[in-house]
Formats: sequence, C-alpha cells, structure tokens
Amino acid sequence: MDEKKISLRLEHISQSYIVDNKVFDAVIDVSIDVYQSEFLVILGPGRCGKTVLLNMIAGLEKPVDGRILLDGEALNGSDERIGMVFQKRALMPWKTVMENVEFGPKLKGVPKKERREIAQKYINLVGLQGFEKSYPNELSGGMKQRVSIARAYTNNPEILLMDEPFGALDAQTRYAMEEEVQRIWQQEKRTVIFVTNNIEEALYLADRIVLLSNCPAHVKEIYDIKLPRPRNTVDSEFLRLRKEISDNTDLAL
Amino acid sequence: MKKAKEEMVLSEFERKEISRNRVYKILPVIAIILLVLLWVAASSNPLSKFPSPAAVWDRYLKLLDRPIKDLGLLGHIWASLRRVFIALGCAWLIGISFGILIGWNKKCNALFGPIFTAFRAVPPLAWVPLMTIWFGTGEFPKVLIVFIGALMPVVVNTQAGISNVIKEYLDIGTIFHANKKQMLFEIAIPSALDAIFAGIRNSTSAGWMVVLAAEMLGGKSGVGFLIVRGMDSGDYPLCLLSMICIGVVGYLLAIVIQLLERIICPWTRKKSA
Repeated sequence: MDEKKISLRLEHISQSYIVDNKVFDAVIDVSIDVYQSEFLVILGPGRCGKTVLLNMIAGLEKPVDGRILLDGEALNGSDERIGMVFQKRALMPWKTVMENVEFGPKLKGVPKKERREIAQKYINLVGLQGFEKSYPNELSGGMKQRVSIARAYTNNPEILLMDEPFGALDAQTRYAMEEEVQRIWQQEKRTVIFVTNNIEEALYLADRIVLLSNCPAHVKEIYDIKLPRPRNTVDSEFLRLRKEISDNTDLAL
Repeated sequence: MKKAKEEMVLSEFERKEISRNRVYKILPVIAIILLVLLWVAASSNPLSKFPSPAAVWDRYLKLLDRPIKDLGLLGHIWASLRRVFIALGCAWLIGISFGILIGWNKKCNALFGPIFTAFRAVPPLAWVPLMTIWFGTGEFPKVLIVFIGALMPVVVNTQAGISNVIKEYLDIGTIFHANKKQMLFEIAIPSALDAIFAGIRNSTSAGWMVVLAAEMLGGKSGVGFLIVRGMDSGDYPLCLLSMICIGVVGYLLAIVIQLLERIICPWTRKKSA
C-alpha cells in the first residue's frame, strides 16, 4: 500500500474502573491509527483490555481519557458508521435469522421490501440461504456468528468491530469461519478491527497486528503482516512470525 | 457398512427415546388410577362420610336432570369462567402495561413500587368486606376481586422481565442506534416475553382460585357456589363433584395458556441442546 488513508484514530485512550473501592486500570494510553479497508487484529493475552477497547470504539462505554476520531471527527457515543459482531449472545433469540439481519435498516425506517433485499444479499453472502425463517436456537454456533456478521454488514458500516467472534467455537468451525471472514472481507471491503487472543488466528487474518500487553493494556508492538493471502499456517515465514509474536506476548495469569 | 451401523445406532437411540416417551404418557394415567383406588378404599368404610366415586357419578347424573338455580354443571362452570375471563383480560392489559412502566422507568418504579409492594401483601379475599360494602354482592365485586388477585403476578413478572433485560441485547440496540422507543419495543419487551408469560400463567391459576373463593362468600351461580350449596345441605357428593370440576378446568386452563405461549413465542419451542 503506497498511500494509506486513516479511517479511525485512537488518541491516548485510557480506561479505568472502580472495583472494590480501588481504581483498576484496564487500558493505559493506547494510540492506534486504523487505515481504510485494512484488516487490523488486536491481539492480547487473557481477558484484559481488548474488549474494553472495542466497546469504547463502539460507543458502549466512554474512555476516562483520550479521544476517538472517525474520519477526523471525534466520536461521541455509538455511531452508525461502526458495526459490531459480538462474542456472546450476539443474536436476539426472539427474532428469526431474517429479522435479526434486517435489524439495522429496520431501525432506520427502511421499507420492508428494500431492507429484506439488502438482508437477503448478506444472508446469501454468509451462506445461510434457506435459514431465513429459523430461530437462533435452531442454529449451530458457527451459523449464529454468520448471522451476526451478515447483520453487521447489512447496516453498511465503514468499520466493522469483531470481538473474539469465534472464541466460543470448536477448533474446526473456527478455521472454517476464519476463512469465511477473510472471503467476505475480500468481497466487501471494509475496515475490520478484529479482537482475538489466538496468535494463529491473528496471523491468518491480519494486515497488521496490534499486540497488547497484559493488564493494564498498552500497545506493545505493531506488526505489519505482508504474507500473501490466503495464508498457509505451516509456511516457514508464518511459523517464524508466530514464534516471534508468541515470545513477545505477556503471560496471561 | 459404516452407514448401516450409523442407522442401527440411530434407530436404537430412537427406540429408547420412544419407549421413554411412552413411560411419560403412562405415568399420569397410573397416578389417576391410584388416586381413584385410594378414593374407593377411603369411601368403602361405612363409617366414613366420604362420598364414593359411584355417589359422585350419581350426583352428576342427578344434576343433569335437576339444575340448581336454573343452571346445570356446565352452566355453573361457565359462570365462574366468565368472571375469570373478564377479570383476566383486564388484569393482563393493565398489569402488563403497568409492569412495563415500572420495569422500564426508574422514576415510576420509585413512585409506585413501594405502594404496589404493600398492596401485593394484601390477599385478594381481604377485599371482600370492602367490596361488599361498596358494590354489594353482584357480578362486579366478584370480577373485581378476581382482577385484584390476577393483577399482582402479571405486574410483578412483567416488571422483573423488563428490568432484567440482558445487557448484551441492549448493547445490540446501542450499536444499531436504536432510540428509546425502539429499545423498549424491539428489545426489552420481546426479551421479557417469557417472564410476562410466567405472570400470565400465575395470574390464570390465581384468578381461577380466587373466583371460587369469591363465589363461596356469596353468589347464586358458579362452581364455588355449588360447593357452599353442597355444604349447607349436607350434599357432600356435590362438593366433591365441584372439586373435581375445579381441578379439571384448572388443568385445561393451564394447557390453553401453554398453547398460547407457543403461538406467541415460537422461538421457545425448539431449544437446541
């Protein structure tokens, strides 16, 4: 990439909570530039800071310090241009697959016929045609996450946040979903910020990997991953990078 | 080869499943038979005043011939049910709305919550004296007492369901920029529907119990009235017959509510393992 346009900018973000009358720092002074259409993976050990970071970008919580800029303007609360795929309880169990996917446009008041067309396009894209009328509890874990991805895309966001979307899946489904996410991303170019604690998953998907430290989270290192796609997980360069990142990762307690 | 084995495994599993299901169908029948046997045994002692199944059956046939207060058994059951249905309709409408209001709006909860909790502690039948003074012994006070009894569970469950909406669902709303109204109608209320239905179930059984008690305290129709009539005239088979009707109708009501829930909340039908 010769010229990179900055899409999202995190400026000195910090977040703390008060737990048992003590201040607990979750994130300290994180600054990241996210470029347009890149696949950025935030990699970190354990359960520290990563989700907090995403929640702040999504507008679900406010940082105690720092600013988040989208296309140069500061974000305040949730923004239509940012979509999110959750790890748990991603779907509303009382809505069918179609109703879940069309949720975004429905809230915006898009007429039924039109929003169903958009939703159908993304249901097809994630390979769930035929399941439009199913309820989430009739689907497997992998299928639920596909619905969740389709729903996020249907709202047409500039930036897609994915919070350990495959953390609860078994290894095999996880590999399949990683391939799937890559295929969808290549087909529908968006900026993706993907959070994971799995180094292999990060290396398989990322244009860049932001490695976070253990609690409190700060940016430890940013890796540019130049391997050609689709990546081979037993390629020697892949394995070398994997070891390099692994050696640089804090132990999660 | 492998496929055949799979089929065998599956069919064996299915066979077990079927026989297990059969057990579940047989068990209630066994319980009923045992209960009737116990009943026969208890009433066979000549000293006991307990009416026998035959006596109850005879009483039923006699009631077909000679109605009490111009109403047959079904007429009395319907008189009770009608009161319950009117009261339940009002209780659901008002109870669910009020429950949503105090579940969703913290200020409303602070305003009405304590008074409501105190009201809840008063059993519906404690209202009988006041109701009699204000409204006499007609239809309206009975329906009103049932309404009070049915209202409480609906409000409590609805309020709990709405105020305990899982945060992740509200987060979805935030991400998709839902406004307050959409948060309530698209997320909070649907996610609370199973809690609301728990309230509806409880209110139905409460309403059915309260109507009988209300009728026993004064009235000229209804199953509760039949029990009192039986007691006053020493007609114990009539009492027992009425009690059996109460049980059967209560059971049928529960089934109807269950069907209603399946229709309104189809997503609860199939739970994945």
